[in-house]
Amino acid sequence: MSEAATAIGAGATAAGLAPAISIRGVTQRFGAVGAAQGVLALDDISLDIAPGEFVCLLGPSGCGKSTLLNIIGGLFKPTSGEVTVAGKRVDGAPRPDEIAFVFQESTLFPWYTIIENFRIALKFQGVPKSERDDLAMDALKAVGMGGFARHYPTQLSVGMRQRVNMARGICVRTNILLMDEPFAALDEQSRMVLGEDLSTLLAKTGKTIVFVTHSLAEAVFLSDRIVVMTARPGRVKTIVNVNERHPRAPDFMLEPRFGEMRNELFALLRDEIRRAMALQRDADGGGA
Amino acid sequence: MSMIDAPREIIMGMPRARAVSLTRWAIILAAAAALEIYGRFFADPAFIRPVSAIVGAWFNPVMSDERIFWALSMAVFEIAVAYALSIVFGAAIGISIGVSNFARASFLPIVLLLYAIPQVTLMPLFILIFGLGAAGKIAFGFTHGIFPIIVNVVAGMRDINPLHRSAIASMGGARADLLRHVIAPNMAPAFFTGLRLSMTLTMLGVILAELYVSTGGIGYFTRLYAENFNPAPLFALIGTLALIAVLFNSLVRVAERRLTPGARAPAKLGLSGAKSK
Repeated sequence: MSEAATAIGAGATAAGLAPAISIRGVTQRFGAVGAAQGVLALDDISLDIAPGEFVCLLGPSGCGKSTLLNIIGGLFKPTSGEVTVAGKRVDGAPRPDEIAFVFQESTLFPWYTIIENFRIALKFQGVPKSERDDLAMDALKAVGMGGFARHYPTQLSVGMRQRVNMARGICVRTNILLMDEPFAALDEQSRMVLGEDLSTLLAKTGKTIVFVTHSLAEAVFLSDRIVVMTARPGRVKTIVNVNERHPRAPDFMLEPRFGEMRNELFALLRDEIRRAMALQRDADGGGA
Repeated sequence: MSMIDAPREIIMGMPRARAVSLTRWAIILAAAAALEIYGRFFADPAFIRPVSAIVGAWFNPVMSDERIFWALSMAVFEIAVAYALSIVFGAAIGISIGVSNFARASFLPIVLLLYAIPQVTLMPLFILIFGLGAAGKIAFGFTHGIFPIIVNVVAGMRDINPLHRSAIASMGGARADLLRHVIAPNMAPAFFTGLRLSMTLTMLGVILAELYVSTGGIGYFTRLYAENFNPAPLFALIGTLALIAVLFNSLVRVAERRLTPGARAPAKLGLSGAKSK
């Protein structure tokens, strides 16, 4: 992957540095080979991600973006191929010291208050008890949610919850953050504002991010590199570079090149989306 | 925003909660008054007595006769033991069944089948096996009370948000952490629903057994009064049983409200009016 060497992440010079995440020939098959219900989800994916880089995985529904993310995070083991994080092979086992996940906002445990939700994450992280509350409060204040530590998630709006959820992922001090469509449940406007906040927050931390999304604008606004994937089986179709420094301001969205890049992405994706839909239709037709 | 309480309504010139409780008492008093008038002036005293006579009979003989008091205590004891057994075994069996898809698919249909059997038909068998004493009543209460707990525990373990599972795994939590931080708290509301249903059914089981075979328990006294056309103490006795039932149910409700973690106040059936947690 020569692109990896040329991509410049926020605050990190990729050239010459060992990749933070290295994906080599990852293939994922669900069900047995040749089985009627068997599905080839990912086909021979290889990708290097530099430290401090923000990479988006973009592709039609069902192309295996989330699967790839889960494999990087060690939530399960690929059928073949390997992922290396910080020089150590991820072998289907989570690495909470290196990698944090941010899922949709409903990941917050509804039976715990916001601060308790943070405490659990920090406890698993091995943070001493005396430091947990301070770290949590710092993170909450950073996203403007300091006043809601003792609330339960259901007492907050969806946007507020996702703010908190993001802060939880960021406050555990991992170098890598994997985000699986974190804003999917949000309306367009909240998405944009949260995306902006995320860009600001991450510029300070210098974390390496892999972000799965459906939203073209989100991908362009946030990423250093956008990995466009094909319909199933998921392959890397092409990689688009976004040369814009972090933190990014909303003005970036008004620039002509923002629109051009989005259109370019859509042109790349259109055929894949149609193929994905046809696959879906066939599957439904076959099942009926 | 969802966190803000609904504005307090004013009904009949007072806050909604007070209007609701006032209405509730008015209904009870009206029913009592109607029964009093009917019992005093119209009814055959062999079948219906006025409320005042029932209250009188509650003091004497129900509360003053040592044998009746003892019978009531015995019933409470039987219910308590049957209920405790239902909870312990129900939870244990429920967790064992709910822990894997395989166990659930294999065992749950059998449990549901057993649950559906009208157990009254098996009562003679219980008497034969456990005898005429407390053991039979406890056993019958237990077989009634255990099923709703099993079924609700299994249901509670089933509905787990896959994201919560992934969250625990990705944060590096072990299986025990999943149980403690996800499965148990997630199950709590269903478990308490099971506890409440079980309470009602356990009482039903014990009292059914009491009515069927009893040599000196509450079943004996209810039959004694019914067959002697002496309805005042009969109603007083039944009322006392109802009171015990309400008491047990309130206990479970308090436990439910206290112990359900998070802002997931259990269904209140409108009992606390517009007050929201």
